[in-house]
Amino acid sequence: MGSFQQIWWVLFFPVAGFLFQAFAGKSLIDGLTEKVGLQKARLACGFMAVAPIALAFLVGLSVTLELASLPAGSQVPPQTLFSWIHLQSLSVPFEFRVDALSMTMVLIITGIGSLIHLYAVGYMAEEKDFSRFFTYLNLFIAAMLILVLGNNLVLTFVGWEGVGLCSYLLIGFWFKDVANSKAANKAFIVNRIGDWGFTLGMFGVAVLIAANRDALGINDARWLSYDVILPRARDLLAYYPAWIPASIALMLFIGAAGKSAQFPLYIWLPDAMAGPTPVSALIHAATMVTSGVYLLNRMSEWFLASPFAMGVVALVGALTALLGATIAFGQTDIKKVLAYSTVSQLGYMFIGCGVGAFYAGMFHVLTHAFFKALLFLGSGAVIHAMAHNQDMRNYGNLRKYLPITFVTMAIGWLAIAGIPYLFSGFWSKEAILGPAVNAGHGALMLGPLSAGQVAGWVGFLVALLTATYMTRMMMLTFFNPEERWKLIPAAAGHAHDHAAHGHEHHHHGEDKHGFFMTDAEAAAVEVHEEHHHELDESHKPHEVSPLMWLPLVILAVFSFGWIGGAWLDKNEAFFKWLYPGAEMAAHGEAVSHMTLLILSTATSVGGVLLGLWLWGRKMPTWEGFDLAKWNPVQKAAGKQWGIDWFLTDGSIKTGGVLGSFLWAIDRWVIDGFVNIVGYLARWTGGLVRKSQTGYVRGYALMMQLGAALFVGYLIYTIVIGVGR
Amino acid sequence: MNMTPTGFGLLSLLMLVPVLGALVIAFIPEQFPKAIKGAAMVFSAVTLLVSLVVLGGFQVGTYHMQMVEFVPWLNQLGIHYRVGIDGVSLWLVVLTTFLNLIAVWFSFYIDKRVKVYFVMTMVLLAAMLGVFLSLDLILFYTFFEASLIPMAVMIWIWGGEKRNYAAIKFFVYTFAASIFMLIGMIVMAKLNADVSGTWTFDLTAIQGNVASGQFWANPEAARMAPMLFWAFALAFMVKCPMFPFHTWLPDAHTEAPTAGSVILAGVMLKMGTYGFLRILLPLFPEQVQANVPVIMALGVIGIIYGAIVAAMQPDLKRLVAYSSVAHMGFVVIGIFSLTHDGMMGGSYQQLNHGISTGALFLLIGLLYERIHTRLFSDMGGLKAQMPIYSAIFLVIMLSSVGFPTLNGFVGEFLALFGSFQAAQAGFNGTGWYVPVVSGIGVILAAVYLLWMFQKVFYGELNPKLARLKDLKPWEIAMSGCLVVMAIWGGLFPNTFLGPMEKAVNATRQMAINPPGSRPTWTDTSLEIADNGDLVRVLPRAVNGDMHYQEPLAVVAPGNLHFDVPALTEPRVEQQHASALKTQGTEVAN
Repeated sequence: MGSFQQIWWVLFFPVAGFLFQAFAGKSLIDGLTEKVGLQKARLACGFMAVAPIALAFLVGLSVTLELASLPAGSQVPPQTLFSWIHLQSLSVPFEFRVDALSMTMVLIITGIGSLIHLYAVGYMAEEKDFSRFFTYLNLFIAAMLILVLGNNLVLTFVGWEGVGLCSYLLIGFWFKDVANSKAANKAFIVNRIGDWGFTLGMFGVAVLIAANRDALGINDARWLSYDVILPRARDLLAYYPAWIPASIALMLFIGAAGKSAQFPLYIWLPDAMAGPTPVSALIHAATMVTSGVYLLNRMSEWFLASPFAMGVVALVGALTALLGATIAFGQTDIKKVLAYSTVSQLGYMFIGCGVGAFYAGMFHVLTHAFFKALLFLGSGAVIHAMAHNQDMRNYGNLRKYLPITFVTMAIGWLAIAGIPYLFSGFWSKEAILGPAVNAGHGALMLGPLSAGQVAGWVGFLVALLTATYMTRMMMLTFFNPEERWKLIPAAAGHAHDHAAHGHEHHHHGEDKHGFFMTDAEAAAVEVHEEHHHELDESHKPHEVSPLMWLPLVILAVFSFGWIGGAWLDKNEAFFKWLYPGAEMAAHGEAVSHMTLLILSTATSVGGVLLGLWLWGRKMPTWEGFDLAKWNPVQKAAGKQWGIDWFLTDGSIKTGGVLGSFLWAIDRWVIDGFVNIVGYLARWTGGLVRKSQTGYVRGYALMMQLGAALFVGYLIYTIVIGVGR
Repeated sequence: MNMTPTGFGLLSLLMLVPVLGALVIAFIPEQFPKAIKGAAMVFSAVTLLVSLVVLGGFQVGTYHMQMVEFVPWLNQLGIHYRVGIDGVSLWLVVLTTFLNLIAVWFSFYIDKRVKVYFVMTMVLLAAMLGVFLSLDLILFYTFFEASLIPMAVMIWIWGGEKRNYAAIKFFVYTFAASIFMLIGMIVMAKLNADVSGTWTFDLTAIQGNVASGQFWANPEAARMAPMLFWAFALAFMVKCPMFPFHTWLPDAHTEAPTAGSVILAGVMLKMGTYGFLRILLPLFPEQVQANVPVIMALGVIGIIYGAIVAAMQPDLKRLVAYSSVAHMGFVVIGIFSLTHDGMMGGSYQQLNHGISTGALFLLIGLLYERIHTRLFSDMGGLKAQMPIYSAIFLVIMLSSVGFPTLNGFVGEFLALFGSFQAAQAGFNGTGWYVPVVSGIGVILAAVYLLWMFQKVFYGELNPKLARLKDLKPWEIAMSGCLVVMAIWGGLFPNTFLGPMEKAVNATRQMAINPPGSRPTWTDTSLEIADNGDLVRVLPRAVNGDMHYQEPLAVVAPGNLHFDVPALTEPRVEQQHASALKTQGTEVAN
């Protein structure tokens, strides 16, 4: 099966793109600007960023088709590039795994990735650091591909941290605002908390496999490779007391929860909206945040070995889904609504995994990738058209100005609301909630219901809420007859503030190494920051360029129900693709299939109607700018019910107090002791010598005293020893 | 090891080149600073080249000492000139010569008492190499202490405001701790004479008696064992430095000139962990095993404590100094896990810390030369002003964070994995808290390093940094060398892990195997097989061809893994897990 070697090209293109952007991107723009102008130069640079991802998609497609054409039950052997970490006791090759799960993710990443890259070329056209943006974005794709293609947990972890880094760099892309870089730090650090669990879980897996190497017949030291750890995992784990598979699964779940923004580690995701909108669409909606679901699917054998851990996964998923949906009601920032909606939808995916319907979680990853990327890109188009103002309370009646954005976003809205049959969200939600409400009685029971059933019923409630808050968002943005930005008075002229630009030249003394620019050099590079247009009554929104609406249209096409209903044959084809040889859970034990359909329909349509009714009660009495007039529940929702305040501010404050305390201990107690010894010795020395001495003498005396005592003791013991 | 004198050889040349350099520089008049700097560069480069020749001639398939040189010296005292190199010391030697070149390169910025400065640098280089090459205890001690003097002088003359205090504290603290080691060495020689009849400070000979069990079977020795152990351990723990003996480090680092900080963090701290590997583990197997809980606890405290205190520092250099306390903690828990993975990780992490922390100090020095401050309050927004500098800083910062594909990850990962294995097996009383809590140290590393990066590079440009130009090409080349090493170490760790593996494995077996089945350096018919077992092969000549041979017999199993006891019968399937069962198996294999 040598032709699967071409999987390396999938990684090669984004890496090459990254290196090109990093080392040549800026020179390309600078060099072309003189010939064709800045805009076209950036377009060329953007093309060099989009092309690798598109190429990777094409190669990925060809590999997938080849994989699909293999006879059922056959498995592609791991593709090894080189030996990465190799010890006598542990071997971690740089190896890729080509199977249905990894290739599905590859197609999502490179397919939606190239669309979003294309969109970003338009969205970032005014950006000074154009090539730096695409450096990070290409690197992200490369890291994400390593995450899903890696054939061992360590390689998955490499991608895992790699996407975390790119997320960090892109959230803090506009670094001049410290708030952005704080959001970036928060994302990285909270993810690291998850990584802590991932690492320990990974160690647990390796130790178990290594200890059973003879029984499993493993003769190389690849304790972490999927082709070694998956096939007989459940047989093996059955021999161990239940807490062992449970703790390994829960540790891995902590990792997944960090990346996929599950309670309580979701707190970084809303803040991550500080990044440019294409980043939110690609990283914080379609791909990176779903890697937790990928991990659960990949390690499903290990999760299935612990019903307790599965119950925890389902419950945490349900709690996250509910929290995200309720918090979304209190948001005024259009991206924040989508962020919490993402948190909520990720919760769904975990419900699916937690009740054993791993494929359904993956299925929702797929449909969600399309409609949520669509919604984010649409919101980006709106934000772009509204002079980068993200407050929905300033919007209204935009369907008149942004027809294409409106139509495509409306499709995304109906998809996430789960409108039956026609839209993809319906199919994937149904695939999750069906098995959930019918879940058997696992190890984790809450009264008469199993954890999975509780999660399922919460899921139905969340479906209703989802439809409602998304309707609220759409109404505020597109349907409100009032064009509310016209209520903002134009600022009293945008006089260019020269004082801010007048660089005072600080004299650093003689600059003999030429560290600083001379006046002439400084004048040459002085850039007057282009005037930033603010949203006010004089603003005229315009539809975005084709570069930006084309991806919207494509994504909208894929948000229709045919992807779930027809093409994937009501989930079953997708299940068979992901898990060949396994049997799909039969519905209709406790809750019949028909009941499920009715419930799904009722919640989605009911949610939309409820949203319309709420909107009909008119703004701005409780959607107004004056937060004091908001009802207390919505205010609390807007503040995330205080969770973020408790966790983030709490840990920063506690950490600060602890840190100051420890530092004081270090200076005054530990080092103080050292210094007191020094002073004492000096003082003794002064008494003896009656002359001025320094530390040296003091310490030296101390040392001699100690040494003398020690030598004395040694001589004593030797003498005693010899005497015996 | 045989006692036939060999005369001087390549390793002596390695130490001789810097000594010659010091002499040559001493004869260049002070008014030609460029000639002095040039000479220092040339001699540093030649030393690096010689170390690369050593690397080229190094045989990977053995744990034994290679290129051994033995020149009789003080026969009555049993002190001889005896040097050699193995997998444990190989990369530390190369790291030393490499970082020294970088430090000398940076010292282009030194313009005060240039001659003395570079003489000190060269002497320091020779002394550090001596530490890693010595096979005689007194020789080791001499170099160990000799390296203190030039470093203390560097801090004292070219240091910052509190340099007097820092230099004296550094010198006396570390000197005072190692004086106990000297006494310990004398006692060890005496005890060795008791069992073997020869008075010698030869590390390999003493270890041979330890390995056979003779040495500590002597009731006299057994009675003094704890005391001797701590006499050695204390010297190394201060050097590392381990909590609570670390307070000399922030002062010394902060006050030292940049090149001094690079060497101090990059190489001199490793003398402590190298001492653990070279002397403590081979000579005190029982004591090491008995004291693992104490040392592990101090290592873990160091990781957390160093990280938290680092986060509170207002000064860049002090922050990185405290981060060293945390990072060296990983080396310690790796080594004292006494598992193969952990010890490989700990040994590798020595190199990684040398590269990443050395590079951090270098980068901070580059900035300090420009703006003469290291306070966060004077910084901010540098990313737009110095994009190349910030990109290099980012890579090095990530290497320090332990980001995969960079060197720090591999070492930390293996060290943590080793401590996890030890904890799982309850090996030497290692508790679960070791991997679990030191894992939190990895989170904290991200906290303080990202804060540092944010305060220096993000936000609005601090007016004090206005008009600052980016790095000069030679500075980019210099720091670029370290970036290349960080990436190489992360992508191709086998380059480094391969040659050290057998020696590290042998060191571990010296510490954990029962007497009689421990590896020794004196018996060349012992070898570590490719599967990690200690095996008997045909005897080979010292310094001869050490290529891998087919084992004749297994002396001791490798014990690379611990068993995880399983139940005898599989657990009864959960009755109600019907929904779970239907998911079926992963891709049929």
